[in-house]
Amino acid sequence: MAEVVANGVRLHVQRLMPSGGPRPDAPVVVMLHGMVIDNLASFYFSLGNALADAGCEVICYDLRGHGKSERTPSGYGIATAMADLSALLDELGVDRPVHLVGNSYGATLGLTYGADFPERVASLTLIEPPFRIEGLGEEMARSLTQVLAAISDEEVEEWLTYSAGRAVGRIMRSAQSLLRDTTIAEDMLATAPFSPDRLRALPVPVLAIYGGNSEIMEQGDGLARLVPDCTLVVLERHTHMVLREAVDYLRVLLRWWLLHRDEQMPQYTHRGGQTFELADWVLSRSVPSDLNAERRASSASGDAEGPGDASPEVPVAAGATSAASAASSGVSGEQ
Amino acid sequence: MTIQDTLRSADPTLDALEARVLGEIAEMLRDVIGEEYVVDMEITMDTSFNEDLELESIEFVTLADRMRVTYGDQVDFVGFLAEMDVDRVINMRVGEVVHFIADSLRAGAKGA
Repeated sequence: MAEVVANGVRLHVQRLMPSGGPRPDAPVVVMLHGMVIDNLASFYFSLGNALADAGCEVICYDLRGHGKSERTPSGYGIATAMADLSALLDELGVDRPVHLVGNSYGATLGLTYGADFPERVASLTLIEPPFRIEGLGEEMARSLTQVLAAISDEEVEEWLTYSAGRAVGRIMRSAQSLLRDTTIAEDMLATAPFSPDRLRALPVPVLAIYGGNSEIMEQGDGLARLVPDCTLVVLERHTHMVLREAVDYLRVLLRWWLLHRDEQMPQYTHRGGQTFELADWVLSRSVPSDLNAERRASSASGDAEGPGDASPEVPVAAGATSAASAASSGVSGEQ
Repeated sequence: MTIQDTLRSADPTLDALEARVLGEIAEMLRDVIGEEYVVDMEITMDTSFNEDLELESIEFVTLADRMRVTYGDQVDFVGFLAEMDVDRVINMRVGEVVHFIADSLRAGAKGA
């Protein structure tokens, strides 16, 4: 079933099972993607199929307003996200505690859900969670405003029209309209800070993963100090986009966490980089000054031009997990 | 373009099963993308999801969902996608998926 109405909103859901079906005691894993420039595809391709193939029952869904889920004009606060998730689990008939895996703001949602409904949660995997005791909402909203400014830039408009290509264009346009046409920014501004006391009492095991070069890496220490059962993993040479950068290791790490935690934690080995459909400047929110230079030059010299002509200067190559990270950098409030 | 058109223009080296699967996937792709540019595009074994079709990753998820419904448990899409990186998936050509499905269906028929 690809669509489920939960908490009054139509959610796009992909449920992934191992070949032959899951065993009755298989871990149920629910993926929570990042905000704005993200959807379920990032987890579907990075960890979803890999964990289902390893024996887990995996549920990926598009958060309200994202991907192919219904875009409501309002209702983007964290309390509504919690209600959406509870209703979704009810609709799917999930009656066992679930393992939540969240990326960036999705990890913030996971941590909040674990604190609010510990009886429904078996474990939390938090990938690059923006974690602050104070000012979390303001930080995320400021970051979102920066994203909106970056994707509303005139240079970006020109690039989207002539050079970006269809896939990137669709992702960016969708993010633009989500920010312009819904209350998501103000709703995120209202995010309440985490209560230290509640986190000190969190009865759920937590696996927290940060990139060693991430701007929010030091926030992991605060999390690990408060949460009683927290395994903190910092991957050197990686950034806030660690989900897309270190997917091979994260597949191994998550298989250990979900299925073989009594064994020794697998060691990390660095592997080469990958290419993705969103350019780095989108993720870092800094529009390069020469974004359209090549197209203008070729246009001036009479070469072919027009929508769909991808400039080789702009890496629009493949991939999609990109999305995960983009929003992520959008809401993690690095500065 | 109909399935029959697709079959006529298909690679003559394909066997009947592969030609049928290619036609079915081409129709699914036109439906999932749902834009004018793909209506008259000839979708062959060499067509790239990324460069030729400019498929967005969430559209590939929808395509995989359609294929799962169409071909059922005989085709293990979870196993097929489990070890692939997303850039590897999007950079695939249609033919790789057709071969995987046709091989799975043949293996299923033998095992039945």
